Amino acid sequence: MNDNSAEASDAAENRRAAFRMGEQLDREHAAGDPFAAAIRRTRMPIIITDPRQPDNPIVFANDAFLKLTGYSRDEVIGRNCRFLQGPDTDRSAVAAIRRAIEEERDQFRCDILNYRKDGTTFWNSLFLSPVRDETGAIHFYFASQQDVTHRKAEEMSTRERAEALELEVGARTRELRESLNRLAAEADSKTLLLHELDHRVKNNLQTIAALIGMQARRAASPEAAEALLGVLGRVEALGTVHRRLYQDRRVDRLDIAVFAHDLAQDLVARSGRADIVLRFDLEPVMIGHQHAAPLALIVNELVTNALRHAFRHDGGEIRLAVRRTGEADGGGARLVVEDDGVGLPGQELGRGSFGRLAVELLASQLGTKPLWQTAEPGTRVVLDLPPAILARPLEETRP
Amino acid sequence: MSRPAPLRVLVVEDEALLAFALQEELEEAGHEVVGRAATSAEAIGLARQARPDLALVDVHLLDGPTGVEAGRAIGEAGTVVLFMTANVKRIPADFAGAAGVIAKPYSASGLASALAFVGAALDGGATPPPPWSLQLAPHLRPAEDGRMRLRPP
Repeated sequence: MNDNSAEASDAAENRRAAFRMGEQLDREHAAGDPFAAAIRRTRMPIIITDPRQPDNPIVFANDAFLKLTGYSRDEVIGRNCRFLQGPDTDRSAVAAIRRAIEEERDQFRCDILNYRKDGTTFWNSLFLSPVRDETGAIHFYFASQQDVTHRKAEEMSTRERAEALELEVGARTRELRESLNRLAAEADSKTLLLHELDHRVKNNLQTIAALIGMQARRAASPEAAEALLGVLGRVEALGTVHRRLYQDRRVDRLDIAVFAHDLAQDLVARSGRADIVLRFDLEPVMIGHQHAAPLALIVNELVTNALRHAFRHDGGEIRLAVRRTGEADGGGARLVVEDDGVGLPGQELGRGSFGRLAVELLASQLGTKPLWQTAEPGTRVVLDLPPAILARPLEETRP
Repeated sequence: MSRPAPLRVLVVEDEALLAFALQEELEEAGHEVVGRAATSAEAIGLARQARPDLALVDVHLLDGPTGVEAGRAIGEAGTVVLFMTANVKRIPADFAGAAGVIAKPYSASGLASALAFVGAALDGGATPPPPWSLQLAPHLRPAEDGRMRLRPP
């Protein structure tokens, strides 16, 4: 700060008054006064101002103050402390100091950015306190300073670190959100792909069925036609599973009761035997999609066999049951296909038949073994499904 | 299975083999096939010309996924429409005016049962529920006597 170029003469007079007050203090507190000695010698920068003089000038500054600010004693005595302020000094801190003096507060403390003579800055922890006489009138202000640049720097860097951390967290959050969006888009395209594949599988199954059907209608012999229709039935059984697979909300599991019901109804309708009645005893039992096709083929073989061989002349009843078994029985499920026809001995599902071989093979793939029983009258085939191939039921199961 | 009322049927299917096999199955079941169409324009033209009782319409045709709109036009011309598709989700909520959908892959007997139900519904009334192979449009409701009708008797 450089303001000595054009001082008005009264300002010069004021400074001389301040010098005189300083000299008076010196005289009153000469060598031997321990309080004065302490203030003169302490390493804490201290000044005394005189509020009764115009503009509250500095009348005393100790060596520590001069050392801190870089000014000589001549340069500070007689001047208001504001020469320590600079362009980056917080105006609200200055206003707070002024208010503390106006309100004659007994003590005041604040951190304020001050400037040395050479223009460098330091954070000043300012402590301000009035010196009163016996009547309480304020004669002087006592101000101690402390260079807290180091602490301030730490505070700043803590704040900066916090801000940097916030930025980092913000960036990470954005990244996470973006990758979530990307994942969702990928999942969407995977679902799309899955549906396209499913569509193709269904169409191909339809084409295969059409081919077999056409060929069966053109077969040279009734035996050839029957063999082809047997294959058609098996393809259609697979179709029943695939048709259901993407109609429900979940693609990874199927309700055995639903596709077994569809399949049996389909087979009885195809037989053209109005004298055979289907009876169902079903409850929802979910199976993993990879196990649905073998199970559908088993149902196809069992029901087809009953239709073809159990009822030679008279009609009858085919019962299809799908039920969960209790925890005591292993927590799986049981599928039963039962007829009240002529019984096992006359049936093709006897040992050595193709249908029986297929059922045994498919059952072993599902980790189970069919039980062939005589129901008197008729035949009962029981298939216990291990819990490992079952899936947990949907929240809402189809009726 | 009782013999259903014979229907005059239009087959709208872009895959020649499926269309041909479908025609054979329909004829075997006693129905008359008035024609096969592989594009939407062909389908609409044939429907207006031959005035069939029923059109079986695939969603995907040679000119693209135009089956839904073709079905709407055919339905407006006075023919009962059933969609036949592997992609049931493609069908709009209002079924584009169609009576229902037969999901692919359908079986021969599933097709026969569905047609028997539609035949009955066109001729005096069918007794619900429809066979599992036929998914009816949600706007169709049974009459007061509990039977489904697709056209006033």
